[in-house]
Amino acid sequence: MMTTSLSTGSGCRSGSESQAVGFCLTLAICLAVGIAVPGCDSGSVAGPAPDFEAALVLREKLTSATGATEAGEEKPQGTGWATLKGRFIFSGTPGDAKPLVVDKDTEVCSKDGMKLFDRSLMVDASTQGLANVVLFLRNSSRVKEPVSTDALVFDQKNCEFLAPVFAARVGQPIDVKNSDPIGHNTNISGTSFNQLIPAGESTVFTAGRETGLPVTVTCNIHPWMKAYAVFREDGYVAVSASDGSFTIPDLPAGEPLEFQVWHERSTGRSGAISLDQPELKWNAKGRFKIQLEENEVRDLGTLEVPADAIRG
Amino acid sequence: MKILVRTLDMEYETVSAFAAQAGFKTPSGGLICRETRGQLLSGSASVWMLGVVAVVLLLLTTTGCGKTAAASYRLNMVESAKQRLKPEQEQQVATILAALFGTPDEPIAPSECGLDVAKLHLAAGPVRSDIVGRKNGLYREHCAHCHGVTGDGMGPTAAFLNPYPRDYRPGVFKFKSTERADKPTHADLVMVLRNGLAGSSMPSFALLSDAKIEALSEYVKYLSIRGEVELALMRAFFELDDEDQGRLPEDREFLIEEIVLPVAEAWQAAEDALIDVPEMEADIDMAASIAKGKELFYGNKANCVKCHGVTGLGDGQVNDYDDWNKVVLQAQKTVQGGIEQAGEASTWDMDADEAVEHRAELAWLDRFQKVLEGNALPPRTIRPRNLRQGIYRGGMRPLDLYYRIHAGINGAPMPAAKGTVPPEDIWHIVNYIRSLPYDFNGTLGVDKPMVARDRL
Repeated sequence: MMTTSLSTGSGCRSGSESQAVGFCLTLAICLAVGIAVPGCDSGSVAGPAPDFEAALVLREKLTSATGATEAGEEKPQGTGWATLKGRFIFSGTPGDAKPLVVDKDTEVCSKDGMKLFDRSLMVDASTQGLANVVLFLRNSSRVKEPVSTDALVFDQKNCEFLAPVFAARVGQPIDVKNSDPIGHNTNISGTSFNQLIPAGESTVFTAGRETGLPVTVTCNIHPWMKAYAVFREDGYVAVSASDGSFTIPDLPAGEPLEFQVWHERSTGRSGAISLDQPELKWNAKGRFKIQLEENEVRDLGTLEVPADAIRG
Repeated sequence: MKILVRTLDMEYETVSAFAAQAGFKTPSGGLICRETRGQLLSGSASVWMLGVVAVVLLLLTTTGCGKTAAASYRLNMVESAKQRLKPEQEQQVATILAALFGTPDEPIAPSECGLDVAKLHLAAGPVRSDIVGRKNGLYREHCAHCHGVTGDGMGPTAAFLNPYPRDYRPGVFKFKSTERADKPTHADLVMVLRNGLAGSSMPSFALLSDAKIEALSEYVKYLSIRGEVELALMRAFFELDDEDQGRLPEDREFLIEEIVLPVAEAWQAAEDALIDVPEMEADIDMAASIAKGKELFYGNKANCVKCHGVTGLGDGQVNDYDDWNKVVLQAQKTVQGGIEQAGEASTWDMDADEAVEHRAELAWLDRFQKVLEGNALPPRTIRPRNLRQGIYRGGMRPLDLYYRIHAGINGAPMPAAKGTVPPEDIWHIVNYIRSLPYDFNGTLGVDKPMVARDRL
């Protein structure tokens, strides 16, 4: 690029020279800052670094030939079976259920002006019973019956799942049905089960693993459809009925049992419910401990869920 | 020095001349002085040199010179915040992972995983070479900038890509030849590396040698197994009894048999779990098949239009999320709900214990929010495939389309048609889909096809 002859302008003295200095220095500083600042990554939260010495010791231990396991305490085992029952009531005011936004397949889902409502908090008006509370036994030592091969039914009609909360045993076949004139897909999160179910047809799902807490069941075609499902290895799980009552039969008797309690709208962590009943030894994770005698039918009575335990 | 000065001077003059010619005003408002020309350490040249030196010094102080720290794995902070882990619990998880899987520079794997450690060493570590023609550190050279050193899909470029790069840690892969719940086979991973994913930012690595592609596939499996073990460890804290005092048991029975083995076995089982694809009828009447496919596409057996749209443009359902983004979205909702709830709590009536709990809850929410801002990518919706373009991520063979319809796409809202739509019908749908990019007013036109958006 050859320079063309250029007549020097008038008045180019120290004035413009110091301005050029200023310009260059500003440019240099701006460049440096502009490069340095985005380079600093202060946004992410760093977790703790691993303890490498302890890691090496652990690695040695795990790869040693016998891999001796620490002898776990022998959990006491009782004999016989017992039953647990009770009734959950809600002492707050539930408020009106919100209507759901139904915007697909309205000729079926909003047929005759039918409205669908949010079912996350269902309280029976007359008995104050709190429905859809999930109660299950953690870590049972033995089970009475093996897994049944009779299929349970999980159906959907009028663009909603008929059971807002559904419990099943691992290995038990579940007949997932679609009783609507339109197609649905049933997507059970955490299980990789997401199946198209044409109108009027059904498919079978068998849970392979138990879930720590209930997981959501949704339909991707109709996004307002939601239910919860819980799968447990031993099958000792109950969902409270519309009046809040539940029964779990054939529980192992004569040994300490720990139960987990859950409700969709609970304010506890991940939906856990902890009630203020010291005799049941509730803990913050929504668990209580109990021990039953053989052939006992223990009635926990009314378990009151206070208003502040449920999200408003 | 004189030459340097003159060169700088000439450039300066050239630039200003060009600027003047182009009509730009120089900052001094007029033409730049040329009086300084030819003088040693003249004003303009020295100013430029000062500027360059200043920039270099500043760069050195901020970026530093010397060795950079060794790469380290990032903990899955979103899951840890979700599970409310304390720092000592996070450290226990990090230590266990270091014991089982090593570091990014020195990977190891439990023998139960069935991984070839030699391949891992080829792929791992910084990019370096000690033999002419062979480079180590393949993963960091080719993959880490998008997928991250930890395989979390959050490398430096990830935020600029739509869709985001795959996060291997949940062990979910979309485009494979196995049933929906199963892992991909080794051949599936190799195919993705060879062909890339058309329509996404994943390029083809067909120019790499077979050995390199094998090494990278193995390393991806390693990162995925490590990520799933990490998730399982973090979730295991919830299952602890009070007696365990918030510490996971560090014995073989728990770590290897309960945590690692299920993950490793899932990967091994995938090799034999290919979808059984009945062959399409040999002399099929293609026109009739396409017509039948169109019926199924619009019908309520397969329900394709519900998400892919009545025009097949992928606009039937635009507010859904894939599983990776859904985790972040739900976490955001949890934090939002928690903040509202904590805001409503009245601290006046609380006793000492409740106040402590309340403060702990606020601290947890605050940390969770920081984690979601700094350790997660903003959730993006997933669009159903625009079937008019003829671009299919998982491959455009009829077989690939069959796999997508039969098993759905794991991790995405696309459901499986297995069991409810018979194989012949799936083939009809495949044929219809393959005709869609050439579809012209409902008949296979011979004239140039109108752009789908222009159709009425």
